Amino acid sequence: MATPKEMSDFLASVERRAFKQAVFAVHEEESALDIVQDAMMKLAEKYSARPAEELPLLFQRILQNAIRDHFRRGKVRSTWTTLLSNLGLGGEDEEGDPLESLEIDDDGNVPASPEGRLEQSQVMGAIEEAVQALPDRQREAFLLRYWEELDVSETAKVMGCSEGSVKTHCSRATHALAKILKQKGITL
Amino acid sequence: MNEREFAKRMKPWLDRSADGLGEMQATRLKSARLRALDRVREPVRVLGLVTVGAGTADTLRYAVVPRALMWLPLLALIAVLAAKSLEETTDLGELDAALLTQELPPQAFIDQDFRSWLGKPFN
Repeated sequence: MATPKEMSDFLASVERRAFKQAVFAVHEEESALDIVQDAMMKLAEKYSARPAEELPLLFQRILQNAIRDHFRRGKVRSTWTTLLSNLGLGGEDEEGDPLESLEIDDDGNVPASPEGRLEQSQVMGAIEEAVQALPDRQREAFLLRYWEELDVSETAKVMGCSEGSVKTHCSRATHALAKILKQKGITL
Repeated sequence: MNEREFAKRMKPWLDRSADGLGEMQATRLKSARLRALDRVREPVRVLGLVTVGAGTADTLRYAVVPRALMWLPLLALIAVLAAKSLEETTDLGELDAALLTQELPPQAFIDQDFRSWLGKPFN
């Protein structure tokens, strides 16, 4: 079973990538933080008795389920909001205010110097936008397979689909990303 | 460039994007991690026989045991009734045994003439 130190090291190694994955999926940092926190708690609470080598796959499963749950809850909430606003019972104060999405992205990373740094941050921004623009399943497959470095069968298990579907999603994601980056004049 | 090669070149950029998180997000992630680690519990030995994870032990303690306890009164009632019925069976058995071991044959007790021969009132 994983020792508390192994669990701690694992979570520390994966938390930033998990946060980014959640941000790419839900496009919102606050919800992404909640999702990652829930996933970490669930892993620690329910699976701390599992061997350390099983943690990455378990964590990815929990994380992807948490992201899907977030969308499910959002769907239910928006159904009620639409229903209530159609009935004239308000709903203006709900969280889904479109103006909130216009908030400025202040991630605190001030480019220290030079053009190189600026260019780098522009490329990074373009890559993040491209990843964010992918369809959900394609992005999930691409990130699990090539960022989290799961193999095809592990990715299929996490996504709950066939290995063939994983390959198709990855291939489409890669082509879509390459196309978007090419359009922006970015070569990797 | 093939798929794998393209992905290989993307990975460092994605890593850099994760590493470049703002101070605030990093702090909040760290505190979320520490909160999660508070929930890691040591494995528990059940009846000194097997070691199970804390989650399993909690399931046993909070789900299985209370449900088992709910059935306890019913099981006790069944046990009492079974014991009582066993006791009655034993009584009847003793009666039968006594009847059969007497000198008088059992038919004698249902024979009307025998009763009148004994000189006892019929009722």
